[in-house]
Amino acid sequence: MRPVGGRGQPENRPRRVRGGWRAERLAPYVLVAPAVLIIVVLRLWPLVLGVNFSFTGDGERNGTTVGLDNYVDLLDDPLFRTALRNVALLVLLLPVAVAIPGLLATFIYLRVPGHRLFRSVYFFPAVLSPVIVGAIFNLLLAFDGPLNAILGGLGIGPFDWLGNPHVAIFAVAGVHIWATFGMALVVFLAGFATLDAALLDAARVDGASLAQTIWHVIIPGLSRTIQFVFVTTLIGMLTSMFGLLYVMTSGGPEGSTYLPEYYIWVQQGQMNRPALASAASTALFMIMLVVGLLQISVLRRAARED
Amino acid sequence: MSRVRLSGWLVAVPMAVLAMATIYPLLFTANVAMKTRREYILDRFSLTSTLHGENLTTAWSSVGMARYFLNSLVVVTCAVALLLLIGSMAGFALSQVRFRGSSTLFLVCLAALFIPFQVIMVPLARIMADGGLIDTYPGLILAYVAQFLPFTVFLMTSYYRAVPAEIIDAARIDGNTLYGVYRRIMLPIGAPALLSVGILDALFCWNDVLISLLMMPSADHRTLMVGVTALRGQYSDDIPTFAAGVLIAAVPVLVTYLFLQRQIADGVTAGATKG
Repeated sequence: MRPVGGRGQPENRPRRVRGGWRAERLAPYVLVAPAVLIIVVLRLWPLVLGVNFSFTGDGERNGTTVGLDNYVDLLDDPLFRTALRNVALLVLLLPVAVAIPGLLATFIYLRVPGHRLFRSVYFFPAVLSPVIVGAIFNLLLAFDGPLNAILGGLGIGPFDWLGNPHVAIFAVAGVHIWATFGMALVVFLAGFATLDAALLDAARVDGASLAQTIWHVIIPGLSRTIQFVFVTTLIGMLTSMFGLLYVMTSGGPEGSTYLPEYYIWVQQGQMNRPALASAASTALFMIMLVVGLLQISVLRRAARED
Repeated sequence: MSRVRLSGWLVAVPMAVLAMATIYPLLFTANVAMKTRREYILDRFSLTSTLHGENLTTAWSSVGMARYFLNSLVVVTCAVALLLLIGSMAGFALSQVRFRGSSTLFLVCLAALFIPFQVIMVPLARIMADGGLIDTYPGLILAYVAQFLPFTVFLMTSYYRAVPAEIIDAARIDGNTLYGVYRRIMLPIGAPALLSVGILDALFCWNDVLISLLMMPSADHRTLMVGVTALRGQYSDDIPTFAAGVLIAAVPVLVTYLFLQRQIADGVTAGATKG
């Protein structure tokens, strides 16, 4: 992780530059200054400010310290509780969202007929904006839309995908998985490139079945990639579903598809309660922090086993 | 040749079905976009009999998609140019120059990578408002640069780390200042990474809706993706025009993907394997 050598050190410095020696010493700072300035002022400083906001009041109590009132309000708000419940639901769906691209990547790696085409096609929705994906699925999931028509042909349904409070969050999560599994697939394939092919050959010589090969060779060999995909998929679920929610459900029906990020947006933009929104932001950050720390501890344990 | 005993076709068939399920939504939308309203109401599934682009021209001109498209193009172009410039400067200094505080500064950039936009959007909106930057193009561009800079710095730093020291030493012996080394050596050497990262940054900015909604409240400043969300309300009873608007917004990304799929995948995996 360290810079490799002492480039830019005086011993390598040609005489001609010596006049501008001071300028040269400053040069690396000048090069990093714009990046560091922007990141500190517009990313790190707002984080501190936001935590501060979350302990102040909204409206008439604007600016006054209110202690933990906003957090109490949050937990009292059924919409925020729904948002937390939906986070838990997404965590439960996580293994599915990781297993699907993992299995598909395995088949592509094993060169199933047409693997190149599959790779290109599967990755494609991952580059589309959630807004476009959401707009398209508004058409597909309409009550009289194609999905119900296809299911109807099989004698199932119809379902009110986006109108039924018990179904809508699954519909949106399903669309999110559809739209992003290609991203995880590509990461898995990069992991496969580091896998020792000799192990797979040995498994084949021993006459291992596909399931045995996956369980005994591929999963242990890819443990790091699998962990990485778990964490990035969860982060994606927590921070990049706004576009889908905004276009497909607006948090409805009956507030059943709220997620923390959507709740933050509504409190800030519509309800004009920035302090409450900041409390929700801080809560979301805590959730992500726990996820990050879990990842580190899992990685450490994996490293010890190696 | 299969690497493992695998009845290949048994797997290939469901995979092909899934591939069709991946493509079908976009084909359905394109088909609807070509239909007249009457045709759509009568039968929304049949292949369109006419390939007329009326809906496309309606969406493009009278709905204002042209304006939104231009807004997006300007903002994304400026943001990506700034990201690549600032990101490669910092990446070069952090990877190849030893100076006091460099590892701390790298950690600062790395830490920002783990702060999602939703967590800082309320105070950021206030900072931007204090600076008079809300509802201005520079404001939105700056917000995009701030959002995607940690990722850009991180990838450029790891790319430049692999550049051999001899190249830089040789350039310095030739009398180049550090700025000269950056401009004459590191920028050209970094071209493949700049392309990969630039495409990803462009996709992120182009596809964003949350930052744009927050920064650009007024209607004629809308970016394309916010324009698409507005279409829904305006054309809820004219689905073909709605579909045409969605198609227009999807086409630039589609074309980018067809030509630069490799670079996009490379950028994604570089972020993963170096992380």
